[in-house]
Amino acid sequence: MSSIRFKNVSKTFGQKEVIRDIDIAVDDGEFLVLLGPSGCGKSTLLRMLAGLETISGGEINIADKRVDHLPPGQRDMAFVFQSYALYPHLSVRRNMTFPLLMQQFRWWYHLPFIGRWAKSRIENAPDVVAKVDKTARILALTEMLDRFPRTLSGGQRQRVALGRAMVRNPQVFLMDEPLSNLDAKLRTSMRAEITRLHKEIGGTFVYVTHDQVEAMTMGTRIALMRDGIIQQFGTAREIYTDPANTYVARFIGTPPMNLVEAKLDGKGVEIGATHIKLPATFPAAAHGDVLFGIRPNALGLSREPGLASLPGTVVMVEHIGAESVIAVRLDGARTAHESDESMDAVMVTVPGYAEFTVGETVFLTPDAAQGVLFSAKTGERLRP
Amino acid sequence: MGSQTTHLPRIIAVLALLGVAIFPIYWMFVTSLTPSSELFAASPNLFPRFEQLGIYLEVFRTIPVATWLWNSFVVAAGTTVLSIVLAILPAYALSRFRFAGIAILGFALFATQMLPEAMLVVPLYAIFGQLSLLNSLFGLILANTAFVVPVITWIIKGAIDSIPLEVEEAARVDGCSRIDIVLAIVIPLITPTLAAAAVIAFFHGWNEYVFAQTLISSEALRTASVGLASFVGELSTPIHSVMTVGVIYTLPAVVFYLFAQRYVVAGMTAGSVKG
Repeated sequence: MSSIRFKNVSKTFGQKEVIRDIDIAVDDGEFLVLLGPSGCGKSTLLRMLAGLETISGGEINIADKRVDHLPPGQRDMAFVFQSYALYPHLSVRRNMTFPLLMQQFRWWYHLPFIGRWAKSRIENAPDVVAKVDKTARILALTEMLDRFPRTLSGGQRQRVALGRAMVRNPQVFLMDEPLSNLDAKLRTSMRAEITRLHKEIGGTFVYVTHDQVEAMTMGTRIALMRDGIIQQFGTAREIYTDPANTYVARFIGTPPMNLVEAKLDGKGVEIGATHIKLPATFPAAAHGDVLFGIRPNALGLSREPGLASLPGTVVMVEHIGAESVIAVRLDGARTAHESDESMDAVMVTVPGYAEFTVGETVFLTPDAAQGVLFSAKTGERLRP
Repeated sequence: MGSQTTHLPRIIAVLALLGVAIFPIYWMFVTSLTPSSELFAASPNLFPRFEQLGIYLEVFRTIPVATWLWNSFVVAAGTTVLSIVLAILPAYALSRFRFAGIAILGFALFATQMLPEAMLVVPLYAIFGQLSLLNSLFGLILANTAFVVPVITWIIKGAIDSIPLEVEEAARVDGCSRIDIVLAIVIPLITPTLAAAAVIAFFHGWNEYVFAQTLISSEALRTASVGLASFVGELSTPIHSVMTVGVIYTLPAVVFYLFAQRYVVAGMTAGSVKG
């Protein structure tokens, strides 16, 4: 069992608080993704879990045992670094054997000759060789066991780094943006590889990334972070369909969720001159200025006005192949997109090649059932 | 780059520099083989007279050159080993730890280099006298080490700086303590720099004169640098013996350099691997 629990964990560097009151728990065998922009503290949180950084407050438990006072080597975790961090002076085989060697290490192994003899005895022990060979087979590294890291490609080095993590059969695998140094194609195949490994070898994975696609496809649960605070903690689906605030709404999705300034009343929202009826009723306290959030694929787009449609002008058309992205500036209503430096337009995705041209007048019909509301003041989600 | 025409000036420049570097040694060799009577002849002897090679045997028979060389070797090798052992840990600390006074410590190491040996030799003599380190090769090794350690600490620190921190963190996760990291990861990765540091330390110990002259008075413990200087007499200096011993004194140093140089060059490729 290797559940992980952060209890009110915080971290300060000098006066600066980089991690604030993190309190989450994941079960044994989960794949937790820490997602967020650079500088949000996700890597720091991972390094605190690994023991590479101290914690300033709170506690960390693994399998209900407190570990935050233990040195990294005693936490039974493996860490895969963004830069792979292979040992350049050791062959692939000895890189992968190294953690097993350290488990049985004695100080006198540092001595010349006798230490070398003792180390090679461990490295050549049948069970050690068997473990390394098996891991190499899983990762297709058998041919490269005698080569040095400098002769390997990026993807191969990454697999060696994974192999070095796997041989120990640790309770927890920690990965810090392991795919970000690879090219796009290799990244996709390694993504599938890591997911497969998670299923095959079990263990709890904690994976740091700034890439929402990696997070959505790999994680059983995602913690979306910003400025050292967890914005939302949940499954990929919850985070996509049920964002907790405008930040989460705008972080996830390509293009992200549209946020349109609106007025909430008893029956629905008023956007510009159009009234859109909502399926649920909201408490009177929430009435007034709100942000109406709607995904780009939950908007109907046509040249003819419909019931409760929003008029606007096409300002940009992008064909991606499977779908087209069309940006529409609304007449009489504004978006809240400028806060994250996006243009003041509603993004709509339409399957296939959509024949719209810039400057055209169009009408948007939101699927009200998929709409969500946020407070205009705090950005927090409003619920019925 | 790469064409014959662009290489030519470079080859000429290298040959010219080589000539400048090698000629004094060559001249020393030629002079050592020139009989004294011809040394001041109007037309100098440009080529070695190999029939005179017997002088080398004679020098070994009449002068304790072998003892001098052995003493020099003990001092140089001792300085090399001791100063590298002593420099690695402070270099690691300077590179990896942030602590109060680190800047002062770094500066202090440099500051030791600003003091000339000639100025320090008097207080050092007094201190060594009290510690019974006078007239001992070990004492001389200590004195030389004190001068070498600051320099090579900085050199080794530079090499440790270039090791990616993640490699050390990976080792920590794999169960290494700090000292394990230094011994099993850092030292193998900085071998080329250690070889360079060894060259510096060895030559310092081999060439050192002021301390060797002052701290050692016994004939039997005399090093080659002092021995060589002892030829210089008030009335006459037997130039051709001096040159003979000079050649003998130079050779082991050259051999050591060639030996160490292989590691310096071999290491350059190994060190260029990114984590």
